[in-house]
Amino acid sequence: MFSATLITVVAAFAGVSWGILGGALPGISPSITMALLLPLTYSMDPTAAIVMLASTYVGAEYGGSIPAILIRTPGTNAAAATVIDGYAMKQQGRAGEALGISLYSGFVGGLFGLGVLVLLTEPLSTLALAFTPPAYCALGVLGLSVIASLARESLVKGLMAGVIGLMISTVGTDPVTGLSRFTFGSPDLLSGVPAILVMVGLFAVGELLVQSTERGWVQPAPERARIRFPGPALWRRIALPQAIGSVIGTFEGLMPGGGGAVSSFLAYNEARRWSRHKEEFGHGSPEGIAAPEAANNTVACTALVPMLSLGIPSSNSAAVLLGGFLMHGLIPGPMLFVSHAEVVDGLYAGLLAANIAMVIVGYVIMGPCIWLVSRPRPYLTAFIYALVVSGVFAIETSLFHVGLVLAFGVVGFGLRYVQAPLLPMVLGVVLGFMVESNYRRALVLSSGDHMTFLQDPVSAVFLALALLFVLGSVIGHARTRRRQA
Amino acid sequence: MRLALLVLAVVALLVSSVAAQARYPKSVVILTTHSSPGGGSDVFLREMAPHLSRVMGITVVVENVAGGSGARAMAMMAKAKPDGGTFYATTPTFIYTSLLSSPAARYTDLEPIVNVFFDPEVLYTAASSRFKTLQQVIDQARGGRGRWGAGNPASLERQALERLKQRAGVSPVVATFEGGGDMLINVLNQTLDMGIGELQEIRGQLDAGRVRLLAVVGDERLMQFPDVGTVKEQGIDLSVRKFRGLAGPKGMPREIVAAWEAAVPKLLADPAYRQLYTRNNLQPGFIPHAEYVKFMSDFGGQTQAFLKQSGVIR
Repeated sequence: MFSATLITVVAAFAGVSWGILGGALPGISPSITMALLLPLTYSMDPTAAIVMLASTYVGAEYGGSIPAILIRTPGTNAAAATVIDGYAMKQQGRAGEALGISLYSGFVGGLFGLGVLVLLTEPLSTLALAFTPPAYCALGVLGLSVIASLARESLVKGLMAGVIGLMISTVGTDPVTGLSRFTFGSPDLLSGVPAILVMVGLFAVGELLVQSTERGWVQPAPERARIRFPGPALWRRIALPQAIGSVIGTFEGLMPGGGGAVSSFLAYNEARRWSRHKEEFGHGSPEGIAAPEAANNTVACTALVPMLSLGIPSSNSAAVLLGGFLMHGLIPGPMLFVSHAEVVDGLYAGLLAANIAMVIVGYVIMGPCIWLVSRPRPYLTAFIYALVVSGVFAIETSLFHVGLVLAFGVVGFGLRYVQAPLLPMVLGVVLGFMVESNYRRALVLSSGDHMTFLQDPVSAVFLALALLFVLGSVIGHARTRRRQA
Repeated sequence: MRLALLVLAVVALLVSSVAAQARYPKSVVILTTHSSPGGGSDVFLREMAPHLSRVMGITVVVENVAGGSGARAMAMMAKAKPDGGTFYATTPTFIYTSLLSSPAARYTDLEPIVNVFFDPEVLYTAASSRFKTLQQVIDQARGGRGRWGAGNPASLERQALERLKQRAGVSPVVATFEGGGDMLINVLNQTLDMGIGELQEIRGQLDAGRVRLLAVVGDERLMQFPDVGTVKEQGIDLSVRKFRGLAGPKGMPREIVAAWEAAVPKLLADPAYRQLYTRNNLQPGFIPHAEYVKFMSDFGGQTQAFLKQSGVIR
């Protein structure tokens, strides 16, 4: 018993460390981080292997926020929303504080998600079945409606960036007919343009290009290379955004498609709506880090609900974990809780250990990370280029994808030049395929009747919410403009 | 005494490795797959590797060459030396990718070696649905109100459903998804009357009694479910075979092909491995080289005809 516990804890620590590393490296998504580990777990004890993989997922979701805060480059899709306020805090010399908030919020979200997983898997798995194609389409539309409020300075520029993102998402195999669209016959594009590459290009490479045009690099003010956990006052302030993030993350985890990215954007948006300090958002608000980071770490636990209880992975990362189960002859589904209860219990214990390990490992590596990004600019810039190019090449083993990343870097530079926001484009790329494929699928099933979107209760509620979001933002935009005029 | 044992062990090792080399020219064989770690082919190969190593007296290593839906793995394989050291794990994907895009190397640039397994494809519905038999699902579709689902748009499963529609003379809508799991939700919540998929994908729900098998889309019934009839038995001439086998570069020497033709039946008969693959719902489906070449070209021809007919390719 004792040795089993020890193995679980060791597996959780190893998984979390590996996950934070993979999540923090731009271009390496949580699912790739897990997939790289998978062959090694083949000969391990089943429970230890599963715990290690699940812990990697937990670690990667936190790891993604490190470069988002420090170098304005989200390491994972789900950390994209953290860039806004995280990097703003870094520029104010509050990087340690930002990382502390991210780590603490990830821990809170992870524990909440774990509680949900342990206590509510059965009822929530029924909820996952309420999602039909119209409902998924509507969920995607709800996610896209956030664009309206992300594009604060100019609604038109935000919409333009969003539409470019949607256009990129149409590259690949047509979801209904199977035709190849905009692939120019190249098999490299058959499965579309990976969102993570678009993001690395737009943020990391784009940022480096912008910095290269700046004259006379000033050495940044020396950072205190220490992580700072929030004190009691801040604790109270970020409790609400954390709660918002955790609840949104719980529902997102249940549904295939969006995964952590949608949840963190929705959480960011809601946190701002309910905040008493709305004006701070975008300029280094602790709440703007707490909400998305709590959300994506909640997802890392609740994504296991449909995976364990239905055998249906709701994200790429959950799919890799499913592969881990199958390799050990475990078949996820309702019977797993009966036939292999020991593995499920071991996994729960492992996830608890993983969330604790995340705080410890996160705390330890923070100093070196902050030290690393406080090196002289030329060294740092060259290092990030090397990291991005070698990372993308190592994962995709193709120069085509390296070219793709560099091309998106130029696009990111252009968008910054015209002062268009980048996040709407990321949302477009992440959600475009989900919206399109489910829209068309819903119409196939209803023989072309659009009423299906209103007849499906889940879909109707989401669409109504989306409408409210957009109307609210448009009215807000109009008011600001009138005030300025 | 200890020394004697050690010497004996070393001698035994040498003898066995010499014997192995007499059987097969390579001591290490790399099996490549386009599947990423944890994917269907990857899990299959990694489970097969230790047993294959034992049966053939060689070391079998699995390598993932993901990307381009198999295009990269095919290109690498077409350029490899035909020395028996590397093979590619075939699945219908490599034929679909060859037909849907213009990869550097197509399936016709590879030499099919032997087939090993078939993944059984089944038609199923939710256990709570009112459909008890395939006939009832087809009757429902007769009025044009049927809703059937396949995992992916341009896939063997889609092709099977389109042929089932034709042969049964009905016109339900066929919705496609982003994989079998995605579709399974829609069968469970009864958005769909019926879905088609690999037995392995629905195993968790099947064990829990939440889905009902309607028919096997193959030539024979499954040993795990002897009560479920095939589509053919139910009066519709339809059978698809999702294959799993090996292909290599062109110009593979005759004796290497012969070594695999001898080893695969031995592997399939191996009791330890048999237990494992039965649990994973794979049907043994050894096809010797000459037949496999024809099988593959027929499969490619049929698929191309289907894709042209449905307007996916010209």
